[in-house]
Amino acid sequence: MQTLLKILLRYSNFLVFIALEVAAFFLISLNNAYPRSSLLSTANDVVAWQNAQINEIRGYFSLRSQNEKLAEENAALRNYICSMDSAQNAGSYHYQSAKVVQMTTDRLHNYLTINRGRKDGIRRGQGVRNEEGVVGIVRTVGPNYSLVLPVINLNSNISCRFTKNDYIGTLQWDGKDSRFAQLADVMAHMTVNPGDTIITSGLSPVFPEGIPVGIVENSVLKEGEASYTIRIRLHTDFKRLKYVEVVQNADQNELEELTNGMD
Amino acid sequence: MEWTKQLGRYIVVMLLQVLLFDQLQLLGVCHPYIYILCLLMMPITLPHSVDMLIGAAAGMVMDVFCNSLGIHTAACILIMFLRPYLIGAFVNDKDRLNEQISLHAIGMEAMIKYVITMVIIHHLTVFLLAAWSWQHIGFVVMETIVSSTITILVILGYNTLRYK
Repeated sequence: MQTLLKILLRYSNFLVFIALEVAAFFLISLNNAYPRSSLLSTANDVVAWQNAQINEIRGYFSLRSQNEKLAEENAALRNYICSMDSAQNAGSYHYQSAKVVQMTTDRLHNYLTINRGRKDGIRRGQGVRNEEGVVGIVRTVGPNYSLVLPVINLNSNISCRFTKNDYIGTLQWDGKDSRFAQLADVMAHMTVNPGDTIITSGLSPVFPEGIPVGIVENSVLKEGEASYTIRIRLHTDFKRLKYVEVVQNADQNELEELTNGMD
Repeated sequence: MEWTKQLGRYIVVMLLQVLLFDQLQLLGVCHPYIYILCLLMMPITLPHSVDMLIGAAAGMVMDVFCNSLGIHTAACILIMFLRPYLIGAFVNDKDRLNEQISLHAIGMEAMIKYVITMVIIHHLTVFLLAAWSWQHIGFVVMETIVSSTITILVILGYNTLRYK
């Protein structure tokens, strides 16, 4: 017994080290498996508020380019209203605008924080878009801010389809360039041409059908593989993202109950 | 008194990290984590396990800002575990060291070796854990080289200006 205690004491630092590392790796595993507490992310009130202030200050230095961007955005919004009319009639979706207070675009796991939270009716799993196209999916919700998992994150998966023939694929990202994403699971028997348009499939309640995603830049079919490697040029310009809209599905609760009941 | 100074410096360095160094956008591979300056320069008078706990706390704070729960925590615990052994390897009489670890305290050569080793271990751990696969190893290596260089220059630069 005494020898055991002696050994434990001798290696106590190493044991503390192992225990702490196990705890840290447990946190990392939580990262992917469960909805995280908003306290431990940039959706945390204090951190998000601080980021919003930085954003304000930076805004003053780019007023001129902001004006130009706003003019462009006005034009785009006018077109967007037309398209939204038809999209909204098709389902029970409504949109809530939000401002991006913080965002990264040059990492493997990019996130953006928006200034809407639980108080504004934001829930985990709601879709996020802007006037250009798909942005991402709400990941963690705090009282006043939320964290969005954008298309340009290694963990992002969004169901999409071709406009020309309704074939379905999964939109993923390879971590390299924020302007391009990849479309997976498109079987070899169909033809893919550069310039084909990709939109959301509407198969999950996250996005209504038909939100623009991007166009095919190029596609490669490797010998002996069952599916294409397709590179998509995204419509959304993540580097200039300022305002987004959260897509809220009025039937979301009902749909979730249905899928939960099936498990 | 010494520890009040250390905490004050930590707050200033964290502000610089979040307001300035996190905003850098350089070819997507420039993510220097200068906040470890405080961990590197802390005196080694505290028990080893307390050192590791301080590392864990500093890592967790950084994780909140990076949305990377656990990654910085793991990397900081690792460098705080290795710290006394590395200092022992580069400095002859480390038991004499009762002030903070600086250029002045351990000399130019030892300090350069110490900072380079610690920063590269920390940055490589962070970027490897963030990538979580060997698929992006090229990106991770580039990211480590560029970001470590900047962090090392900042830490050594601070030491030269402050403790010449």
